[in-house]
Amino acid sequence: MATQNAPQSMYRSEEGLGIWEHRGKVAAVGIGHSPTERRWDGHRDTSVGALSILALRKAMEDAGVTPDQVDGLVITPVTTTGAFWPEEDPLPWDVIKSYNQTDDPLDGIAKLSAEWLLKNMPELTNVKYTQYGPTCMSNALNVASQAVGDGLTNVCLVLKAWHNLPGRYYQSGPNAHDTIQGTPAIRTLWGAPACSGTALQFAEYCRKYGKTHDMMAPFMINSRRNGLMMPEGYWYQHRPEELTAEDYEYARWIAKPANLFDNDIPIMMAGAYLFTTAERAKDMKQKPVYILNHASSEAIPRSLTPTLDEVEAETASTARKIYEGAGITAADLSFENMYDGFPQFHQFHIEGLGYRGIKFGEALDFYQTDISIEGPNPVSPSGGNIGAGRSRVWLHTDSIQQIQGRAGARAVTGVKPEIAVSGGPMPLGGNYTVWSATPD
Amino acid sequence: MSKQGVNPDELSQPFWDGANDNKLMIQNCITCNKLQHPPEAECRDCENGELEWKEMSGKGKIYNYVVVYDCPVRTLQEDQPFNVAVVMLDEDPGIQMYSHLPGVPADEVPVGADVEVIFEKLPNGQHVPEWKLTN
Amino acid sequence: MTKRILISLDIDGTLEVGDPPGDLTMEMVRIAKSKGFIIGTCSDRPLSTQRKILTQHDIEIEFAVSKHMLPDVKEQFEADVYCHIGDRDDLDRQYAIKADFDFMWPDEAAAHHWFHK
Repeated sequence: MATQNAPQSMYRSEEGLGIWEHRGKVAAVGIGHSPTERRWDGHRDTSVGALSILALRKAMEDAGVTPDQVDGLVITPVTTTGAFWPEEDPLPWDVIKSYNQTDDPLDGIAKLSAEWLLKNMPELTNVKYTQYGPTCMSNALNVASQAVGDGLTNVCLVLKAWHNLPGRYYQSGPNAHDTIQGTPAIRTLWGAPACSGTALQFAEYCRKYGKTHDMMAPFMINSRRNGLMMPEGYWYQHRPEELTAEDYEYARWIAKPANLFDNDIPIMMAGAYLFTTAERAKDMKQKPVYILNHASSEAIPRSLTPTLDEVEAETASTARKIYEGAGITAADLSFENMYDGFPQFHQFHIEGLGYRGIKFGEALDFYQTDISIEGPNPVSPSGGNIGAGRSRVWLHTDSIQQIQGRAGARAVTGVKPEIAVSGGPMPLGGNYTVWSATPD
Repeated sequence: MSKQGVNPDELSQPFWDGANDNKLMIQNCITCNKLQHPPEAECRDCENGELEWKEMSGKGKIYNYVVVYDCPVRTLQEDQPFNVAVVMLDEDPGIQMYSHLPGVPADEVPVGADVEVIFEKLPNGQHVPEWKLTN
Repeated sequence: MTKRILISLDIDGTLEVGDPPGDLTMEMVRIAKSKGFIIGTCSDRPLSTQRKILTQHDIEIEFAVSKHMLPDVKEQFEADVYCHIGDRDDLDRQYAIKADFDFMWPDEAAAHHWFHK
């Protein structure tokens, strides 16, 4: 049977579940990343399938695990950044045929199945458990954590990969047609770009709390600075450009109050981790980072777009789930790596968490204080999507690396990296992991 | 504004038919007596309730807006920058509708102002609910 | 009397140092500069990066702006001809038209006498 999406029961999406039954018994050990690219150049070795294989092999090598020891594979089969293979374009048969194919020729090109990976990684001889955790790494991590804890897999690879194709973001398909279907038209007919939903929430936030767009600048500068210290990231590898307050202020609007830099850059990449039991992790090459909890938000807005009230209620609820299952409080967080792509909702996440005691409406003031990796209140030390490109992976990689003492120039120095939370994407609809240097 | 045309589908047909008759129709769960928009195949709350379509008064308030400068929809790109406002219905402020707010200059949107529905003809002859400031 | 010419340069897809590289070489830009043209950049790159890129190639620019700022350039500099050179219809030609600038594609510009001795 083809790999299936994880059952709903694997996600911890309700409050009141108590301490996670596998708290501290599951660990992340290995990390593997492919290089990043802006778009696919059509070559075999830069396809999303090729990048995925590379990342998985690196994660095993990093953990000091041989492929035959891996018995589980949890991935997200969706790889699009918003780019879909154009119907009118011929398929890249030369690349497709150079790999072992599944029934879908776009597998490994514009999507990814566990079956495709196993067909093209013959060294994975003992994988008995495969599962999908769509659509972000955050989902896959939750599923892998639960699967390892439940004993469904003992040594599990977790993967998220992205493809990006030529052309502008979301400008092909129905948006290029003269007529569109009636049900999606209720949302799309007015031409609001992807960032509009978050921009609407940010606009309401600014009106309610008396804040302004320029107050985001310190966060943006800090994120890019941190991202430029992440060697795995796009900006580090391709365009080491800092952002200044002037750069941010004078960027053109996309959907005011969201400007160009309030949008992350779509890229190609693959990121992978190796998860195992706390017991098994002791024998591996890297220091284990223990998982204290995973939690999910499944809220959907009442109507077209979430209101600020809905956002704040949900981020507060998510925080209660995160803390309850991990048996911690906000005061235990050494740092936070909540999602930032779009950056205008990062503040919703950290206000919900009550990070460093901040309350709703206070995050932009908090951004005006020292939020650097050197200070006592590090914000998004990974740099997130803003600092390293759209992967939704950096936040997790950084959390693991910080706690393992492998964050290099990005290492937090104003706090001891002991417990962190990462996850997203949206304030309504996200998945979160609590990481710890110790299992208890 | 150069909106795209719309071809109603089964789920949304009553909404679009209503617009052609100058009526604002919103889906309602008979069991919960709760409006929902966009329409869905079943009630989001009780999941087994019978659904009906109710005519609204066509009155609402501007809840929020953005100004679009980089639109993904080809037909609208010549009209940039333009407003995309969110209107909340007087019958139920939880129900939202988008609007270009015809006649309101870009970025001069009076949040909280009263609006009333009008019906705009699309290039393919279908009508769509739009909203104008109430005098 | 010699016409005063202002040239606004997109970077990516326009200049040879762009991502992707364009048809206009940095030597061509230097030639235009040596003719007394007012030269600046107008790109989606951060303003600080725009300045750095040109400085790295020893070209002093009069302005570095975002795409929507061409009207500000027109207000700031007096010239007889205002021309924006870029590779995108939506992000270059359209912005140039709205700001009442002339417009050239990079290949047209590379062949234009402005950029040759």
